[in-house]
Amino acid sequence: MNRRNFLKSTTAVAVAQALPLHGFAAEGWRTFETVTRVEVKDSFGVARAWVPLPLEMDTSWQKAIGNSWSGNAKTAEVKHDGKYGISMLYAEWSDKEMNPVIEVTSRFMTLDRATDFSRQDKSIDLSAADRKFFTAPTELIPTDGIVRKMALDITKGAKGDVEKSRAIYEWIVDNTFRDPKTKGCGVGDVKSLIESGNLGGKCADLNALYVGLSRSIGIPARDVYGVRVAPSNYGYKSLGAGTPNVSKAQHCRAEFFAQGYGWVAVDPADVRKVVLEEPPGNLPIKDEKVVAARKRLFGSWEMNWLAYNMGHDVKLPNATKAPKLPYLMYINAEADGELRDQMEPDSVRYTITAREVTV
Amino acid sequence: MLRLALALLLSAAGLASGAELKPWEGGATPAFAVEDLKGQSHELADYKGKVVLVNFWATWCEPCRAEMPSIDRLRNSLKGKPFEVLAVNMAEPLSRIEKFSAAMPLGFPLMRDRDGSVGKTWKAKLLPASYLIGRDGRIHYVAYGELDWSSEPVRKRVNELLQ
Repeated sequence: MNRRNFLKSTTAVAVAQALPLHGFAAEGWRTFETVTRVEVKDSFGVARAWVPLPLEMDTSWQKAIGNSWSGNAKTAEVKHDGKYGISMLYAEWSDKEMNPVIEVTSRFMTLDRATDFSRQDKSIDLSAADRKFFTAPTELIPTDGIVRKMALDITKGAKGDVEKSRAIYEWIVDNTFRDPKTKGCGVGDVKSLIESGNLGGKCADLNALYVGLSRSIGIPARDVYGVRVAPSNYGYKSLGAGTPNVSKAQHCRAEFFAQGYGWVAVDPADVRKVVLEEPPGNLPIKDEKVVAARKRLFGSWEMNWLAYNMGHDVKLPNATKAPKLPYLMYINAEADGELRDQMEPDSVRYTITAREVTV
Repeated sequence: MLRLALALLLSAAGLASGAELKPWEGGATPAFAVEDLKGQSHELADYKGKVVLVNFWATWCEPCRAEMPSIDRLRNSLKGKPFEVLAVNMAEPLSRIEKFSAAMPLGFPLMRDRDGSVGKTWKAKLLPASYLIGRDGRIHYVAYGELDWSSEPVRKRVNELLQ
């Protein structure tokens, strides 16, 4: 940065710091800011990074405000994968840049969401195309064979999509466990998970299992990938970000679609997280905190969390070696044509900080 | 020692956000209706026959703030020519924009996109998002990220549109 830019920037920062913080909050909406700093260490040759951005689509529970970036990238632009509309900031550095760095600032608003199952509006339905899309298999979530057989067993006797979805949810809570040894949030290889008979994992495994079981019996469902950005207001230490540094707070959730209600929020993986991690830890399934979380997490999400996208089988645009990723929830980077390990923040060296912007 | 301190200061000061002006390939000019800080509405049709820089920005966006003085310099250099700047804030409270305006006086008017819907229509996902509109009312160039609007290559493009 030259002197002119330095002076210009510091003046601008001083101006910004003199301003009061505001949220553009309608009733109940909270405004957050995340800052993601990515450093591609030991880079020789062209370097690239892919940073997930907040969900572009406005929903009744999250709205994107905007993103900005700064750094020494040669180019940076918003790119999308073709199928799911995942948005990401793609940055590229020339081979002359030995210390590639980029900071991405994102602002968004969230609102807690809950489905009122006592109020049905029969006009709410999915189009045939969307129903087909959200019941289709992905590379790691097959919807036939052992997955479908298991889903049929679990939902035997249940009527309607809500009842069946609840049966799957309760089954996952009762029969899976959070495995602290799972790397990152897990991969979400549903078939292997079932075949192994070892139903342990983290959110990307357990909630993908939920999605796969649902889809296999024709219930539209999807994983939603994101990151926790604030502590829980409901007293759960394990279900919130404990510090402003949320670099390892990635978390995915799930939704199913029920005619008359729309997309319904669920999160059986977080019930298992409460069991394992809520102090003092290893809580019995009948502990009142577990019981309360179990009740709450079928039909609602606390929105102390940022949703990035709902995509699977992600191909990173412009990647030299482009294996499909099961999902895009982490920062990805490559240097010298090699993709760095997305689940190891130290391999890419990234930090994500989050703060609520209060009125 | 002083030189070293200055170098350290420069490296820690912040990061540039270099954008480039690219030809627009996004099709027809989207609808545009915003209001200024006094609540008066502005549409693109109000500026027919002029070259217009539509710049979506936010006070929290460091590169947005950083490039504003260069927009001012460009505007000053084109005094008397049919050139306008519409700097549209994305979804922030009026009080915050007014305080920003007081702290960083600029020669061009600040506008408001109250709920960010205009910016979304214009696909202003990455701020600052700037669009150069020709005298024909069509978008000719776009830049996502900080740009030195007073630089020679940019002036050249603007002057071409002014012909």
